[in-house]
Amino acid sequence: MSDAHTLPMRKGAPASGAKPYQLVAGWWVVPSLLFLAAFFIAPLFVIFEMSFQEGRLPVEGGGAFQNYRRLFADTFYLGVIAETVGLSVVVTLVCLLMSYPVAYFMVRHASGRTYDLIIFLLIAPLLTSIIMRTFGWQVLLARRGLINEGLLAVNLIDRPLGLLNSPAAIVIGLVHVLVPFMVLSIASVLQGIDRRLEESARILGAGKLQTFLRVTFPLSIDGVGTGAILVFMLANGSFVTLLLLGGGTLQTLPLLIYQQFNTTRDFPFAAAMSNALLVLAVLCLYLQLRLIRRRGI
Amino acid sequence: MAQMAEETRERVVLATFTVAFFIFLIAPILVVVAVSFTSVSYVSFPIEGFSLRWFWRIIEYRPFIDALVVTIQVAFLSTALAVAIGVPAALALVRARNAMSEIVMTLLLSPLSMPMIVLGLALLFYLSALGLGISLTSLVIAHTVIGLPYVVRTVAGVYRGMPPDLEESATILGANRWQVLRHVTLPQIRPGIFAGALFSILISVDNLPISFFFGSPSTNTLPVVMLSYLEHQFDPSIAALSTVQMILALAGLFVIERFYGLRHLGAPT
Repeated sequence: MSDAHTLPMRKGAPASGAKPYQLVAGWWVVPSLLFLAAFFIAPLFVIFEMSFQEGRLPVEGGGAFQNYRRLFADTFYLGVIAETVGLSVVVTLVCLLMSYPVAYFMVRHASGRTYDLIIFLLIAPLLTSIIMRTFGWQVLLARRGLINEGLLAVNLIDRPLGLLNSPAAIVIGLVHVLVPFMVLSIASVLQGIDRRLEESARILGAGKLQTFLRVTFPLSIDGVGTGAILVFMLANGSFVTLLLLGGGTLQTLPLLIYQQFNTTRDFPFAAAMSNALLVLAVLCLYLQLRLIRRRGI
Repeated sequence: MAQMAEETRERVVLATFTVAFFIFLIAPILVVVAVSFTSVSYVSFPIEGFSLRWFWRIIEYRPFIDALVVTIQVAFLSTALAVAIGVPAALALVRARNAMSEIVMTLLLSPLSMPMIVLGLALLFYLSALGLGISLTSLVIAHTVIGLPYVVRTVAGVYRGMPPDLEESATILGANRWQVLRHVTLPQIRPGIFAGALFSILISVDNLPISFFFGSPSTNTLPVVMLSYLEHQFDPSIAALSTVQMILALAGLFVIERFYGLRHLGAPT
């Protein structure tokens, strides 16, 4: 009966569902577009072009691709690329392992106030400077720092460990900076899971662990993916943590770009390294967009 | 019964893990805050003695104060620019549901996904070629590029949640577009603009990978000065400076929370 009344009405009314009221004209995006074209796209083209120029150390054979030949033929630089990607993979995995239980706890077990507190504690560190957090780890990981003193006091070790200036210190520092992003990504997806699906699995005889592995985790995979790509991307571009906590034990592309700029001043080669890093970033961006499309946001 | 016991055990295990997780997350920050109150001239924890001398040292050390002035100028100017061009863009894109607007939105958000160090290097060469070189103008432009996505994203988020009926009703009641914009739309999206602007400011203040390319005695921002200070000496003044910065940022977070709510910022997509 109600259908008979609403149908003709719907026909007469403006099709607001299909085409919502548009307040401002499309050209309002033009200033932003022009700005990014001038100061985002164009600079990336300039650096792309520069990477084909001859660098400070002319490479044997010369030619437009000499910087890239140097980057991809020299085992040292291949090692650098491998270390860049390897470090990001390790950091992403550690973040994932640490984040999932926290995200699960906050969505499934935390009451309103605890939930708000957790959100605050996750976001507050994001507002402290990267220098502050790195400095904190420098203090904690130092030879006479709290961690070494603690381990000595309980007789786990008999002389201080060289924790600082090691790959482990870099991983700790990067995980500390990036892990909140992972928790937030996973939590936002866990929140949307229909719990009746889990209950059905339980009723049909699946155990707690089986339900988690076969129902909950697969359903949360988009959040895991989004978080992993974000963390991987940010880890790829980081250099402050490596500079202050690594002590040169790991060489990555951003660190080398920083050093090329500061000391060697071989700009065409730095440009080639930047482009290699950029390709990784664009790849991540593409994966990210595909995931977002799938989630229908 | 067994299931309830299982539930409780899961809860206890997860809660313990979560507490350990937050100790990991918060401890390094608290350590820095503690170190800033030390009375000795070397960094140690637990601290020896209590004094405010390192806070005085910040005020006395000229490069810190110069850098603070530069940092504030750059943060506010770049944010003003990002809001001026970003808010109109967000308004135009949210309601236009076509493939083109999606592409444009992706482009506007894409600086977020670029490695900052690449962006910094590229902008330095480009702006130098344009004759702007290492200057405050260059810094403001560079910071606007990274602030813009935050403004667009938060404003678009709020505007998307606002029903078009309100604006439509105002039009039907005789308001012209400018009146609708001023009296209906802007008051509604103001929290979004506010939050986006605050994010842009915070991102700018903390930025290092772009700022250090534009470093010079008159254009060094605070993180740049702090990094070069840290590379040469290791004393508690960096801790004191970090603590001051954190308190300011927390005040900002508190303001966002009051006007906007932290829950809305949860999903980083």
